Amino acid sequence: MLGHSLISVVDDDVSVRESLPDLLRELGYAAVAFSSAEEFLASDSIGQTECLLLDIAMPGISGPELHSELTLQGRNIAVIYITGGEDPTTRAHMLKRGAVECLRKPFSDEALLEALNIAFQGNRTIN
Amino acid sequence: MVDSAYAESQLPLDTALPNGVASLDSIVRTEEMLQRPSRPPEPEKENSALAALVIALADSPGTILQTLADKVLEVLRADSAGLSLLTKDGERFYWAAVAGAWQPHLGGGTPRNFGPCGDVLDRNAAMLFTHWELRYPYLGAALPLAEEGLLVPFFVNGKSVGTIWAIAHSAERKFDTEDLRVLQSMGRFASAAYQTVESIEDLKLEVAAREKAEASLRDLAGSLEEQVHIRTEELRFSEDRWKRIFENSAVGIAAVDLKGRFVMANSAYQRMVGFTEDELREKTYLDVVAPDFQPLNIALMTELLDGRREQFNIEKQYRRKDGRLIWVRNNVSLLPGADGSLRNIMSIVEDISERKAAEESLQHTQARLSHAAEVATAAELSASIAHELNQPLSGIITNANTCLRMLDAEPPNVQGALETARRTIRDGNRASEVIRRLRALFSKSTLATENVDLNEATREVIALSSTRLKKDQVVLRVELAKGLPQVTGNRVQLQQVILNLLQNASDAMSAVGDRPRQLVVRTERDEDDGVRLSVQDAGVGFDPAASTKLFDPFYTTKNGGIGVGLSVSRSIIEGHRGRLWAAPNDGPGATFSFYVPGRSNEMPSDLSPAARTFAQDSTARNS
Repeated sequence: MLGHSLISVVDDDVSVRESLPDLLRELGYAAVAFSSAEEFLASDSIGQTECLLLDIAMPGISGPELHSELTLQGRNIAVIYITGGEDPTTRAHMLKRGAVECLRKPFSDEALLEALNIAFQGNRTIN
Repeated sequence: MVDSAYAESQLPLDTALPNGVASLDSIVRTEEMLQRPSRPPEPEKENSALAALVIALADSPGTILQTLADKVLEVLRADSAGLSLLTKDGERFYWAAVAGAWQPHLGGGTPRNFGPCGDVLDRNAAMLFTHWELRYPYLGAALPLAEEGLLVPFFVNGKSVGTIWAIAHSAERKFDTEDLRVLQSMGRFASAAYQTVESIEDLKLEVAAREKAEASLRDLAGSLEEQVHIRTEELRFSEDRWKRIFENSAVGIAAVDLKGRFVMANSAYQRMVGFTEDELREKTYLDVVAPDFQPLNIALMTELLDGRREQFNIEKQYRRKDGRLIWVRNNVSLLPGADGSLRNIMSIVEDISERKAAEESLQHTQARLSHAAEVATAAELSASIAHELNQPLSGIITNANTCLRMLDAEPPNVQGALETARRTIRDGNRASEVIRRLRALFSKSTLATENVDLNEATREVIALSSTRLKKDQVVLRVELAKGLPQVTGNRVQLQQVILNLLQNASDAMSAVGDRPRQLVVRTERDEDDGVRLSVQDAGVGFDPAASTKLFDPFYTTKNGGIGVGLSVSRSIIEGHRGRLWAAPNDGPGATFSFYVPGRSNEMPSDLSPAARTFAQDSTARNS
């Protein structure tokens, strides 16, 4: 897997944790999944992660709180939010806070790819 | 005008106001009292007190003022209570009757022109005082000091002759508008009592005069004392005095004989029913009772005459002479005659048509509110459902995408594709589980009462609220008692109450940042095979003084909250013959609990009006 950028998925929902890493691997990335922000913060992956697919509403530390924490730690990790919520204002709000994108669940693989391309600033070819 | 802040800080007078006294405004709290949440009326207690007073007036008029003070103390749960009468020269008030902590001060008094009683007579209105000794230093000697004193004037022939009052010595007891209403009603009684006492005084004078005039005949008569006694008895039970009591009363009073025929009725009663006293004498009490209430009235009257009860209270409708129906509150009791054997039945009647109209309009409003709350709940629920469904749907779509890509690869990754297909099925099942829970919540008839397992009902609500609770960073602890008895009720309504309580608890903790937002949902067995459910939060809590107001429609401590939830919830629980209440925690936050009786205590076939309107409302919406 050397040379593959690492994407971490942080989501308390098991369906997402089971499905998303496989798709990311199909897209050519390395991927790991965590069920909470706390678990991610305590892991070794935090140093290698280049991009975070992050749920917004989670028990304990929420997505945006994790984002702030990472910024405080001076880590430069691109954040793509994935949310099950319906609130149309959430996306604009999250982009303003420095997110790359905010995807509403369920999302298509095209939408995911597009967001990942922005996250990696298009300087990586996929497939 | 003295700065009122001095009085409010309750500094000793000599340091705060070396050259003056506290202003009247600074010790008056009447306006504030009108804003306080008022305690619920206790009509039975009040009626019994009123009945006891009327009987006392007949039996022992000499002590009627003291009885009145005792009853004020009891009904208002005051620490002290009493009556002040203006002296004949109009210079002073003297405390003619005192009950409670101030009893030792009986016979004391205040100057007409410099004291709370005088203020009340000047303004010709009820007033609430706090720490009056700040303005009237001589009251500093009347211990214990009065934290609050509520005074109501009373009148005879339009002239104010005194005040009736209640005092709280501790800060715990705060008088409210309900206390004011009760005290005013007793004030009206005081007017009647006062005139009777005056007539008793006249009677004593008359007896004294007779004694003097007949003193020389004492030896000859031999039994003057007996004669005086007989004469006194005659006067005591004279029609005259009864008339006086009857006519001066603001409430309707009527007496019927043991066959139910009217013997007499005061003018207030005559105005209520529209018949003159002469017309009434031709009738029985049933002739003025609306047909709907006759069976109940007959049953209660039979119990009274059989000696199975001494009195009863009933709210019923009268049919007036003009055919119009009015609502009245009625206290009926047996009245022993002078010789102890002849008995009449006394009926005390208060016109409550206005209150009933207000209640009906409130009920109507509540029905509309409950509909609004249901709509709001539905919106909340649908957002929650969307979120719950989006999770497995997201998994399904991602898996399907991955599966396609794996099969499309060269060579195809069949093993991987199989795995993603299996996961797709699993997510599909998760989605259908969400749907199943929703069906469980909504497919049941919204009207039916059934046996409800409150634990199961609670689990369903928790499953549907978990997203929102998670979003609100709530740490949920669920403690459901094993072997909980089933309750009979409307499952959906009970679940709406639980949902309301969970949402309120979560909202109450939204500003909490310095401690875990812990929420505990607990079920336990309670008395009579009933079940209690409590929702305990660690939120901002509530002001204990507002605890009765919490359940009012529109009352809310939340910014932007609509506050209908608790009022509707209480209607629902009361419709299940249960109780819903709130209590502050020892630590931070509050606990809201409801109790519903168990199956052995069958639901009445007739739901309470609130539950009925709620049910009707649901039908209207579902049809």
